[in-house]
Amino acid sequence: MLVVDLFVNGLIVGLFYALMAVGLAMIFGVLKIVNFAHGEFYMIGAYTYVLVALKLGVSPWAALPLAAIAGALVGWLVERSLMRPLYAGYGSWSIMKDEYAVVVTFGLSLFLINLVDKVVGPYPYRGPALVETSRFAIGPVMLNGQKLIAAGVSAALLIGLALFIKRSLWGRQIQAVAQNRLGASLAGIDATRTTSLIFAISGLLAALSGALLAPVINPSPDVGGFPAVKSYVIVVLGGMGSVWGAMIASLLLGVLESFFAVYVSYDYRDAFGLLILMLVLIFRPQGLLGEKVREL
Amino acid sequence: MTLLRTEGLAKHFGGVAAVDDLALAVEEGEILGLIGPNGSGKTTALNMLSGFLVPDRGSVWFADENVTGKKPVALARRGLLRMFQTTRVFVRISAFDNLLTAGLARGLDEAEARERARVLLEELTLTPVMYLDAGQLSGGQRKLLEFGMCFIAPPRLALLDEPFAAVHPVMRETMARFIRRRNEEGHTFLVVSHDMPIVVELCDRAACMNAGRLIAIGATRDVLQDPVVIEAYLGSESHV
Amino acid sequence: MSDARNLWSHRLAVDFRAALVVVAVLAAAPIVVTSPYTLGILIVSMYFALLAMGWNLLAGFAGQFSLAPAAFAMLGAYVPGLLDYHWHVSLAVGIPAGIVGTAIVGWLLGRVVLRLRGPYLALTTLSFAEIARVVISNSYDFTRGAQGLNVPTLMQSRVGYYYLFVAVVLVVLAGLFFVMRSAIGRFWLAIRDDETGAESRGIDVVRYKTLAFALSCAICGLAGALYGTFSQLVSPELGLLLQTGIVIAMVVIGGIGTLTGPLVGALLVYLASEWMRGLGNVQMIVFSALVIIFARFFREGLWGLVARRRVRALPRAAAGAR
Repeated sequence: MLVVDLFVNGLIVGLFYALMAVGLAMIFGVLKIVNFAHGEFYMIGAYTYVLVALKLGVSPWAALPLAAIAGALVGWLVERSLMRPLYAGYGSWSIMKDEYAVVVTFGLSLFLINLVDKVVGPYPYRGPALVETSRFAIGPVMLNGQKLIAAGVSAALLIGLALFIKRSLWGRQIQAVAQNRLGASLAGIDATRTTSLIFAISGLLAALSGALLAPVINPSPDVGGFPAVKSYVIVVLGGMGSVWGAMIASLLLGVLESFFAVYVSYDYRDAFGLLILMLVLIFRPQGLLGEKVREL
Repeated sequence: MTLLRTEGLAKHFGGVAAVDDLALAVEEGEILGLIGPNGSGKTTALNMLSGFLVPDRGSVWFADENVTGKKPVALARRGLLRMFQTTRVFVRISAFDNLLTAGLARGLDEAEARERARVLLEELTLTPVMYLDAGQLSGGQRKLLEFGMCFIAPPRLALLDEPFAAVHPVMRETMARFIRRRNEEGHTFLVVSHDMPIVVELCDRAACMNAGRLIAIGATRDVLQDPVVIEAYLGSESHV
Repeated sequence: MSDARNLWSHRLAVDFRAALVVVAVLAAAPIVVTSPYTLGILIVSMYFALLAMGWNLLAGFAGQFSLAPAAFAMLGAYVPGLLDYHWHVSLAVGIPAGIVGTAIVGWLLGRVVLRLRGPYLALTTLSFAEIARVVISNSYDFTRGAQGLNVPTLMQSRVGYYYLFVAVVLVVLAGLFFVMRSAIGRFWLAIRDDETGAESRGIDVVRYKTLAFALSCAICGLAGALYGTFSQLVSPELGLLLQTGIVIAMVVIGGIGTLTGPLVGALLVYLASEWMRGLGNVQMIVFSALVIIFARFFREGLWGLVARRRVRALPRAAAGAR
């Protein structure tokens, strides 16, 4: 019955991955860039949660939304201060777009890591749990209370996001801008504001995922690297920019990795996802779940 | 002599036949106009002729050699040069360096490429801006620069995609003059264009595509007066 | 710049002369600087200068934004290390093997990522770099994993090492100058600015892109191999993404797409970071902030700003036509 255990735990991990990856996918969807500082949104969420709960003595349940707000704020600030040249009428910038995006987001990642390292300190913090439980078993499946609650919150957030994008006016504006920025602008949609919104949502979700996992991961300044790399794999698997693709790919990767670690190699479990990323980009750049986009 | 010909050329995107069973022939020394309403498959055809798209079916013959599926580089080496509707110049080096690079790419040695670049810049009225980065040139100047890059080593056949679109009338005249002069020297052109007055003025023969198929080919005036062609254009744009 | 000084041949010549001045200053430095500690810092900064020049070849000249330079330095350092550890092969063979090995791996990677651009290329090379590091960290039996591997030294003299690095920097710089002056360099610039445009004009994009990958990776491998014998210890940490980040920072601050920029950027950033270490370890905060500021507001980097100012200062008439 190990199989069931691995499957369920893989799905739970997949839910965390999804919370992280959909924001990255949304940013790729509208700007066609990879935000290499995405992991630092996660790190900021984890730290906000831990510090607010520990230092201010706020209940962990109240610290959670504060972490979300911090993430949204950072995402919004990043868009306002650094992403505008990518689309707001800077003419000659367009040819340098990819380079600029790589350099600036990579630089931002280093900046945030080192800033937190200096201000808060390099040592990992232990975050307070939302509920105090030990591991327990349901049938063959070993579960951990904190993880289960975190997974439940993640699932609820993902469903909420899906409804938001599909149903709400803002959500439809996001879809429109992702499909055709110019067209959406001509139709009267404020594409700039929509992009800010996407960065805020992206920051919010990543920060929440960091906060939810803070009791499990013990955040340190470079804690964002690992989930960020997972998100890259997922965004590629899900077809660069597709939110639905990213959600499915997250669950898929979570389960695959969980089996890989047990049946193939524990040491190389993280290399496995990266190998998939390389193979997919090389042989099927549209992603396993995406549609082929024609260039030229 | 037929310089370029296609047999049964076809390309589908999803379920749509962008080009279907196209048989086209370009005779050496002529200027052939390729016209047709929007979405008729002209650019797809051009992409297959220049190696940027691999056809689903059919073949392309250039100077009696089967070049179907050959890469753009291989075709450029054989003298089949293509110009894009949106200019593709090297924006972070000077106009002069653009020409020099194009010359070296076509196998000229550096001294020769420099000399020809100077002559072409003069002819194309680009000498005053030769030291500017190509990215700083106006749209029309970039188009002219592309002509220069194409002709720095004489091509056997130049494929031009909408060369006159969105170009200032004065520059349009410079370009038309350039094409005519080169044609008199024996160069062959295939010009995709929407600009009927220029097609009439420039092209010896014209071919008209509609819905992926060739519907008329012949002397320019005859093609433009062909009822099938008028029919194809009615409802879209009536330039005729 | 709207006169003959904007021609590539002219820009490159001025650039090369400035870079030679920097190398001359480096060569003269031991007259003043005698402490082995400071010489060691300068040697490490030259290691970074080599990496920066290697990455700049690929990213700044050929337009391929790889995120793997540090991984290639690591590979280049491990080849002589492993050859010595397992088979007692001398460094005289090991170091060239490291260079050739990284060139081959770089060429293969270049082949594989040919069709990928922008973010896709960045992600693929990032994955390659991380996989290489994870494999080396985990293959304990072969590489001694995270503990690292002892490497023999080429010589005991620190001044000797110093001049070896100066000589290698000079050779790489001169090599880059001659390549960039030739048709190959111009083709790289064309591919950087418009790959489709380059292809349609008869530039063999496949060939020149893979060549850029091979050469760039060989330079990084060379840097890594030399650094490994200098520090006498190689570890997977050489290949951390953080190291790549530092290299990118150096190139962007110094001036991407130039010869002098990466050299000056690497020296300045590394020396300043050693200095700032005494001021409370803020160096990485400062440099990552500088990278963002430079990318946002001074895209030409320090050398670009200097070169432009120099041209403005000269009277126009003096330029003439070439």
